[in-house]
Order: sequence, then structure tokens, then C-alpha cells
Amino acid sequence: MSARTPRTVPATGTRQVHCTINGAAVAFAAAPFRTLLDALRLELGLTGTKKGCDVGDCGACTVLVDGEPLNACLMLAVEAEGRRIETVEGLAGPAGELHPLQREFLRCGAAQCGFCTPGMLMMSKALLASQPAPSEAEIRFGLAGNICRCTGYTKIVEAVAAAAASLSASPGEDRQ
Amino acid sequence: MSPELPGSRSGGALDIVGTSVRRSDVVEKVTGSARYAADLRLPGMLFARMKRSTVAHAFIRRIDTRRALALPGVKAVLTHEDVPRVLHYGSPMPRAASCTRDQYILDRKVRYWGEGVAAVAAVSEEVAEEALALIEVEYDELPVMTTTEAAEAAGAALIHGDRAEALQGNLVVAPVRFERGDIERGFAEAELVVEGEYEGGRPTPAYMEPNACLCHWDEHGRLTVHISTQTAFMVRGAMAEVLGLPLNRVRVLCEHFGGGFGAKQDLFQSEFLCALLARRARRPVMMEWTRKETFLAGRSRHPVKIRLRQGFRRDGTITARQASLVYNSGAYGSHGPGVTAVGTSSLTSLYRCDNVLLEGRCVYTNSPIAGAYRGYGVVQAYYALDIQLDEAARQLGMDPAALKLKNAVREGDLAPSGHAIVGHGLEDCILRGRQEVGWTGTKPPPTRPPEGPLRFGWGMGCEMHGSSAYPGIKEQGNALVKVHEDASATLYTGTAGLGTGAHTALAQIVAEELGLAFEAVNVVHGDTDVVPWDIGAFASHTTYMGGMAAKLAAAEARRQLLERAASRLQVLPAGLEIRGGIVRVAGTDRTISARDAMWPGHGLPSPHIVAHGTYTPTKSYSFAAHFVEVQVDTETGQVEVLQVVPVHEVGRVVHPIAAQGQVEGGVQQGIGHTLTENHEIDPVSGRSLNASFVDYKMPLAMDMPPIRTLLLETAPDPGGPWGAKGIGEDPIIAIGPAIANAIFDAVGVRFRHYPITPEQVLRALRMQREQVRDA
Amino acid sequence: MRFDYADPGTLAEARALLLAHGAEASLMAGGTDLLVEIKEQLRRPRLVVDLKRIPGLDALQVDGDGALRFGALVTARRLEVDPRVRVRWPALHQALTELGSIQVRQRATVVGNVCRASPSADTLPPLIADGAQLHLQGAGGDRAVAMEDFFTGPGRTVLRPGEIVVQLRVPAALPRSGRAYLKHGRRKAMELATVGVAASLALDAKGRIAGARLALGAVAPTPVRACKAEAALLGERPGEALWVHAGELAMAGCSPIDNVRASAAYRRDMVGVLTRRALQRAFGMALAGEST
Repeated sequence: MSARTPRTVPATGTRQVHCTINGAAVAFAAAPFRTLLDALRLELGLTGTKKGCDVGDCGACTVLVDGEPLNACLMLAVEAEGRRIETVEGLAGPAGELHPLQREFLRCGAAQCGFCTPGMLMMSKALLASQPAPSEAEIRFGLAGNICRCTGYTKIVEAVAAAAASLSASPGEDRQ
Repeated sequence: MSPELPGSRSGGALDIVGTSVRRSDVVEKVTGSARYAADLRLPGMLFARMKRSTVAHAFIRRIDTRRALALPGVKAVLTHEDVPRVLHYGSPMPRAASCTRDQYILDRKVRYWGEGVAAVAAVSEEVAEEALALIEVEYDELPVMTTTEAAEAAGAALIHGDRAEALQGNLVVAPVRFERGDIERGFAEAELVVEGEYEGGRPTPAYMEPNACLCHWDEHGRLTVHISTQTAFMVRGAMAEVLGLPLNRVRVLCEHFGGGFGAKQDLFQSEFLCALLARRARRPVMMEWTRKETFLAGRSRHPVKIRLRQGFRRDGTITARQASLVYNSGAYGSHGPGVTAVGTSSLTSLYRCDNVLLEGRCVYTNSPIAGAYRGYGVVQAYYALDIQLDEAARQLGMDPAALKLKNAVREGDLAPSGHAIVGHGLEDCILRGRQEVGWTGTKPPPTRPPEGPLRFGWGMGCEMHGSSAYPGIKEQGNALVKVHEDASATLYTGTAGLGTGAHTALAQIVAEELGLAFEAVNVVHGDTDVVPWDIGAFASHTTYMGGMAAKLAAAEARRQLLERAASRLQVLPAGLEIRGGIVRVAGTDRTISARDAMWPGHGLPSPHIVAHGTYTPTKSYSFAAHFVEVQVDTETGQVEVLQVVPVHEVGRVVHPIAAQGQVEGGVQQGIGHTLTENHEIDPVSGRSLNASFVDYKMPLAMDMPPIRTLLLETAPDPGGPWGAKGIGEDPIIAIGPAIANAIFDAVGVRFRHYPITPEQVLRALRMQREQVRDA
Repeated sequence: MRFDYADPGTLAEARALLLAHGAEASLMAGGTDLLVEIKEQLRRPRLVVDLKRIPGLDALQVDGDGALRFGALVTARRLEVDPRVRVRWPALHQALTELGSIQVRQRATVVGNVCRASPSADTLPPLIADGAQLHLQGAGGDRAVAMEDFFTGPGRTVLRPGEIVVQLRVPAALPRSGRAYLKHGRRKAMELATVGVAASLALDAKGRIAGARLALGAVAPTPVRACKAEAALLGERPGEALWVHAGELAMAGCSPIDNVRASAAYRRDMVGVLTRRALQRAFGMALAGEST
């Protein structure tokens, strides 16, 4: 761990944050009131994670922190210190191979305008990690915090179920 | 109707149209590399925020921005004193018939709670936000009228009274009237008259991407606007007109945007201000709405009150239909004229009636602006009409489905546009749906037996909707197809990247018509400097209009390609066919690949095939019948939709999965409209009460029922590519009355409004028990 | 939304910061209420004091006496997925599954939910019905406060300046008992309860009600115990008529308000319906021996 700055970060100041994002070590300066969502989108150029409401009501900003899904708009950037963060940009493999979730979203027509899609994908990834063979009801429960206004959710649920089946058929695939 | 060019593909088996090919725009969406307006960054970019009024109707007595300007990091502040005073429509030019010219960028008056009064550009959103608090505003308040009754009352203050053209009674536009036959005779012939008042609340599109735009000026005074919009050329037109620029000095870019559903057709105050802030500060400016602003300052559906009266003969024939509709426009007119005309005139059709008298009005109130939203006035009108048919059926002792089938418009009947209907699409939907859900006898399918306090019921709702905004607007779709020297092709289209899969559908149409593989066609869109003019994505017309323009362009390109191939093969072009990129002399084994036909000969210049297609559509109508099973908890009043079987007749399905997606999404919005969604305004102050996703309740994944969509192609329209018609708006229209009718089937209580809340259900059940007891 | 940020390493530091800054400082655990309120300008702290670096506050355990104890930093999600909570504190578990969304529960702490003291908060009725107790640490020393005594009004608690809730303790269920939580909302998730009812019933060897606790949320300025209804249940034989009677007493004992979510009259009606249903469910669980 690097040497810490004084305990209190003034509003006009910043704190250096060191974390990994999509497997790469990252360091950046964050204002204390900066949310993780804004840091990703503004400081770090990772605009795949979307801002749908900024108050945790829609799930569009879902990212994984140490493997667990949460709304990046309700986490401060300074809290990312030492954590492992995953965003939609890291879902595909190093050579661009699509994750089964991405493939199934494409195949099933689960993305229309696409704005909720990154959040849906990251939440689905976390869901399948803890429940590799979810029922339809379990998928809907898992995605209850992600709002979509275009698809009616039908094909999203289909895509997640198909990805679950695909992942259990070839387990190594998600480790990309 | 459609000019068939020699050798062009028509009817019969199609290779690409009708299959769910991989969508071209979706890969970026699942990898996170798709850029929406708020994802863009430019060096030196500033962040803008709007200061919004906290009163619903007032003059601005004083506005002082000095303290805001003095805040470190603030680069520009604009009030009504700093901006051009140009009256505009919000969406200009050919939209004029549908829209109202009653907006200034910023005015000395505010007419709804949350109207913009100033805009700030600063180095960060936080600084901009803090600057807003430093802007001092004093208001001279005026009476607030949130209902159409208050606004129409004698002596009511005129919300737009400062304009000479303001109409009495706070009318947005002169009332519309549609008349046919002899209404008095029609009622005289009736053996049953059914009458009712129907009311629609204020659902709002609530697209997931808040409005955003990024503006910058170059050193030559050219403006570039990156914006989330359905109508890039309208944005260009409105910006140019209001800012006093020639059209070729404004460039509008929109590659992806996160949903609009009609409400992103207007140009908003904040977007003009974004451009002006950028000019003042000489830096790019990003203006991103908060979610709350999408409620306060976006566009909602028009709340409505409808009085509907119909006469019936005992055999179910409708002899007369009289209706008066009052649409609540909110503080500005936006699409009021169009919505009022389309909504009112829709009652001339759907169910046949020779004697019709309809009146529609649109009234200003001090509430959030109503505008274009999927269904455009027809959601309201058909909610009333279809429910009343259901009521009549019960009174006549007829099965509602049978009554609706009997009266369904069909081939030769007049559509609301005045055109004759093609085919029997509506009847086909009703028959197919009945078969699917087992509604074959004289009443709805047997319901499940009660479980404790739960009751179950089935309902059906019908609709029809036009693809294109004709005759209100004469739209035009244009397409440009280039065939390159390797026989790959590019379609340039102005159709917006709505997310419906429109560009994929257009690419399918081009590939099919041109005779190439689907993968050989790519689509360029989203830049007004590059693509041909397009009126924008709305009115369910991207496939119908944009698709036809693309087909025409592709047909011309094909003609030129076959000419080239003919000269290579030394035959006449008329004897050639092309499919999957291979040109064949009909009836022989002689072929040449399109690539070889195109490839430049030794020492010769590269070929240049550029073909243009223009299409000004009239009208085609799509049809739907939705069948819905609901559950009513008679102790809590909560209604749950258990299953939906939507049946849609669309002429020709271009991309089945995309078509289903439109239906499923429309059903979600319709369920929300009918049961849980309402943007509520305090009736006294006009303040918004639920401008957030916590209290504006849209169905979530757990709330949605299984949806079993059936797509029919029984009434193709010659005006669409291979008979294809629109589908985008139909689903949201049919689902509402289906749910209301199902509730009646379940518990015998009739609702004539939306949303239907649990409290209202409970109260109605109580009254029903009391009536039974008293009887 | 610009504020200073401190993440002290000890409780003493945290308390000192609170005392020094008074009303200008806000504690942050998960931040799912605080950050929202800051963004909506309902709260404007100059200093946010983040508790998450303080060791020991994220402990979660079941004691020898069967009581559940968890620290201020234990998230709703962590409790939700704990099998012991699901089996032994089913009303709390149910409430947790309905709190916000999984993403929110990943951050929101139960102690935070309690301290926010919203009358409609999901965890409050089950914790009251289960007889939970809060452990506070302050300048004047440590003290324990029963859940039902903690709230003084909407968003207001008995917390003194500089005092922090460090732990929550929920006693083990009695033998032959059942616990249920029912929430009324318009959707199946992401809802603030329009009414929440938690019922905890314990039966004696003869099958009569030996213990009854009934807590209501969203129908008064604070979550409340329906004491008259509880008294009417004690010693009685379970049955539909008894549940109806208890429901009526609960309805009479609450004071809901009208707001955009529901009217007072409807909320009162739902108290009756949900009380009856929650009692029925709790009774069913007690019979089935689901609570051991």
C-alpha cells in the first residue's frame, strides 16, 4: 500500500486511489465527493457504464467490486482503494472474444437501445457466478434492480438462461 | 403505389428479409463501446446545468446572475436577457401541422413548475450545480391551473396570453372536428345507447438515457451538435432557424441513443442553451439532464378526458358514434395539434360506424409538457372505444370478442387517414388470438377457479395504427446506396439509431433487393453532413418509409450492377438475376460474381454505382389484438397480469426477433400505463410529486408476465417494402383496454380510466358488495 | 454535492469527528441513503465520516444462546444470503429480500437502515417483532436500546451527539414459533413499503398463543408495535376469527398519512389485511416447526 495522505480529504483536494479495473492496475486522483461512476466515466475514460438516474434506482451503473454487483453511483471513488473492479469493457476476452452473456444477448435480441445493457450484463455475470443454473424466477429476481424500457425483459431473461446453459456446458469460458 | 423497377425482387420467397439476422449495431452495445451523447469528451469541455423554476405560473420579476458568474469555475451564465427571442416549434418545418409555435429559448414568464430560467456552464457539474443556487430569481406569481377545466373556465388567465394569436379558453389549437353520415339518424336507429366518460392519466416515456447533448463551434462559426435525438435533421433545422444560421453551418450527430419513444423528437430549451453557452464560453459544452429533469422538463403522454357515446342495434351493429376529447397539453403545445387530430380521428375507424361526430380539443395548463409519445393520442382514444365495446357486449348479451370481430374494419373501409384499408388484418388478429387462448365459445376462456381472495379473468383489446404521420405531415424518406468496386455496398440513411433494429432491417432490405449477402451491406447513419435528409424516427415508419426508400435505392443500384454484369457477359440485362452476390443468366449455368462484374478492368477507372431512393409514403395500417389474463386480489385490490398473447398483423416481418422485441417492450409500457405509472402533479402548486424511479413505477423484470407474441402477414400493404408495415406503436395501444376488460371479467367491476390503482379496485369492490347487499 | 471526507481508523476517532462537527457531519456506512439525500439536496454535510475502515464492525455471528449479532457494517446482502438468517429469522430474511435491489443490498447496512429511521424501512418491523436490541457507543459510555424504543419520529432516533450504533442483537426464536413479514407495494421490488407488517407468534404446548409481537411499518411517524392486537392474541386459540380481530385492533392503533404512494385510508385497510395474512403465515410456520 502506498503512503496515505492525511485522514481527511478536503472537498477541494483529492486522494490517490489504487485499484485494479478489468484486470489492470490503475491509479487516479479522486475528489472525495466523486462517485465511482463518475470516476469511471470522467477520469478513467470508461464510458461503458451508464448513468440512468444517479441515485441507485435503475441499475444502469452496475459494476462488480470484488466480484459483487453494486450501483457505482452510490459508491465513492475513494472507496475503490485496493479493490478489484470489473466493468462491461472487461467482459470480453483479451482478443475480443465475446463472453457467453454477450453472445446470447446478441443472439436473442436482448439489447434494443442498449442503454441498460452494460448494467444487465454485469448483474447477470454476478448472478450466474453465484447461481450457475438459475430458474426463470431466479433470473427475474436477480435482475429486479435493473430497469429496461425497451425490451419488456423477455429476451434478456432468455439470454441469461441461454448463457447459463452455455457456461455450464463449457465452464472455462467465463474466465477470459 | 410502389414503382416496381424492372428486375426488382417482388413477393415470393425471400432470403434475408424475414430472418433474424445478427443486428449490426448491437455488438458495440454489449461490449460497452457504443458511444451515447453523454459518453463523448472534447478537450476543454464544460458542463452545463439548468436552473429551473419552483413556481408553476409566474412572471420573472428579476433575475440576477452576478454571484453565479463570480463563482470560480463558472464560465458562462445565460438568462432570457441573453438569448435570441425567437418563437419556435421545438421541431420545425414539415412538422408544423403537428406542432405548435409557442416556445422561446427562455422567456420572461414560466408556465410550468421546473421550466428553465437560466443555464450555467462550468468546469465541473458540481460547480455548475453550486452556481445554480447563486442565481437569484424573483417571481410575480400568477394563478396556477393544473386541470383543463380550470384553464377553460370563463375568465381564466391565458397561459400564452402575451401572444396575439393566443386562443381563448387556453386552447393550443382550434378544435378539430370529424363528421361522417348523419349522427342523429344513427342514434335514432339505435336499440341500445352506451355512454361513458373515460380518463387517461400522465404516463411518461421514462427512456433509460436522460437527454444529453454536446455542442461546440469551430473557428468558422460552424456548430456541431452531438445529441440524443430521434430527429437529427429537425434538430439541425430548429437550431439553424433559431440561432440564425444557414443549414450547412450546423452539423448534428447521433449514432446511438438510449430510447425516445417519441419524446425525443422535440428540441428542448436546454439544447439551444447548450449551443449558446458553447458560443459564449468558446468551449465545448456538455448538457446532461438529471433523471428528475426528464420528468419535469421532458414530454409525457397527454392526459385526457373523453366522453364517448355509441348507438348499437341488437345484433351488435354500431349505428352511431359521438365523442368529445379534451387533451391536456401542459404548459406548451409541442405535438398537441398532431396528437389531438390523430387521436380524435382514430375514432372514425377501428370498429365500423357510418355515422360519426367527433370533436377534439387541446388545452394548455400549468403542468409538465405533453408531447409525442408512442401511440400519439390513439392510446387514449382506443382505451375508451375498446372498453365501451366491451361494455356494449355485456349489455347486449354478446361475447366481447364476437362483437369486436363483427365490427372490425376491413378491406375497403375507410381508415382514419381517409385511405381504404387493405386486407382483413384486424379480423385475422382476433380470430388467431381467440384460437390461441381458447376463446372460442360465446365468452372468454374459462378462468381459473378463485384461490382464496384471488379472482381471475380474461380480456381482449384491439387497435390499429398507421405507419407514417400522413396526412398530418407529408413525410419523406431518402436513401443512398453505393456499390463499391468489390461489390460490397453501403446504405446511407437518415433514419435514426433508435435501438429498434431499424438499421439492420434496412440493411436486410437493401441486401435482399440488391441481391447481395446480408454481410455485404453496411449502414452509415447519424451524421447530417453525410446522410440524406430524413424526417426522423417516429410514427412507426422506419421500416415502412425508410425501408421503402432503401428498397428503391437498392433497386436502382441493382439495375446499374446488372447492366455492368450484362456487358461483361455479353448479354442483355433483362435476362439476368442476382442472388447472394452471384449474377446468373436466367435458365443457364452462366454466372459471374457481383465482385467480378464490378471489378475495374485493366486500365479502366473504378466503377461508381451510386443510387438514390426517395419515398413519400401515404399510409398503411397495422393491426393488433391483445389477449390478457389477469389476477385480482380482492382484499388488496392489486392487479397482476398473468399472461399476454399479443397478435399483430404487420404485412411482412423483416426481422422476427426485432418485431417481437417491439411488441414485448410496448406491452411493458402499456402494463405500466394501465396499472402503475402516473406522473403526478400537486393540483394546487403544480409541483411534481414523483419525479424519480422510486415513485414513478415502471414494471420490473419480476413484474412482467410471459408474453407469447404472434406475428401475422395476412394483409401486406403495397406501399411498404414487400408489404411490410410498422409495428412500434401498436403494442402499447392494445394492451391497456385488454387489461381493463380482463379486470371486468375477473371481478365484474368496470374501470374507464388509467392507471387503475389497487385502492380504486378495492373501493369499487366494496361498492359492488354494498350494491349487491342493498339489492 | 461537494464535501470533505474522513475515514477514521477507530470508533473513538469517528465519535470525536461527529462531536467536533455536529450537524455538519454525517456518518456513512453503505451510503445508499446518505448519498441519495446529498444528491437530492435533502442533506448537505460538510464532512462525511466513513466507518468502513474501523475494524470489528463487520462481525456477524450466532452466539451460544442462539442470538444473532452483527456489526454496523454488515450489509443487507450478507445477512440475506446467510443460511442461518434465512432459517431462524425468516421475517428478517424476507424483509431483506425485498429491500431495494441486490445492488443496493450489496452496500446498504442493516444498522444504517435502522438509523435512517424511515417509518417505511423494511428491516424495522421484523427487528421489532423479533425483539432486537441496539448497542450504542458514545462519550457517556455504552448503552443498549430496544428497537421499538429507538425511534422518536420520521428520520429521528434517540442517538445523542457523537453516539454511534455499533451492533445489533436479535434474540433466538422461541420454540414452536413462526415469524413472517409482509410488505405492501405496487411492484415486486425496488419499493418503499406502503405498509409493512411483521408478526412473530409463539405457541405453548397446548397450541395456544404464548407469545405475540406485531410490528407495523409505514403507518405512523415511527414503526410501531400493535400492542392492543398483541394483547388480544395472548392465550387465545389461533384461528381466522382471531386474526381478523387482531387485524382490526392493529388498524385502530395506527396513524397513516396520505402521500403520493397511497392514501391513509387505504394504508389502514392494508394493515388489517396484512396483519391477518402475516399472522396466518406465522402460525403456519410455527406449526411446521420452521423456527427451531
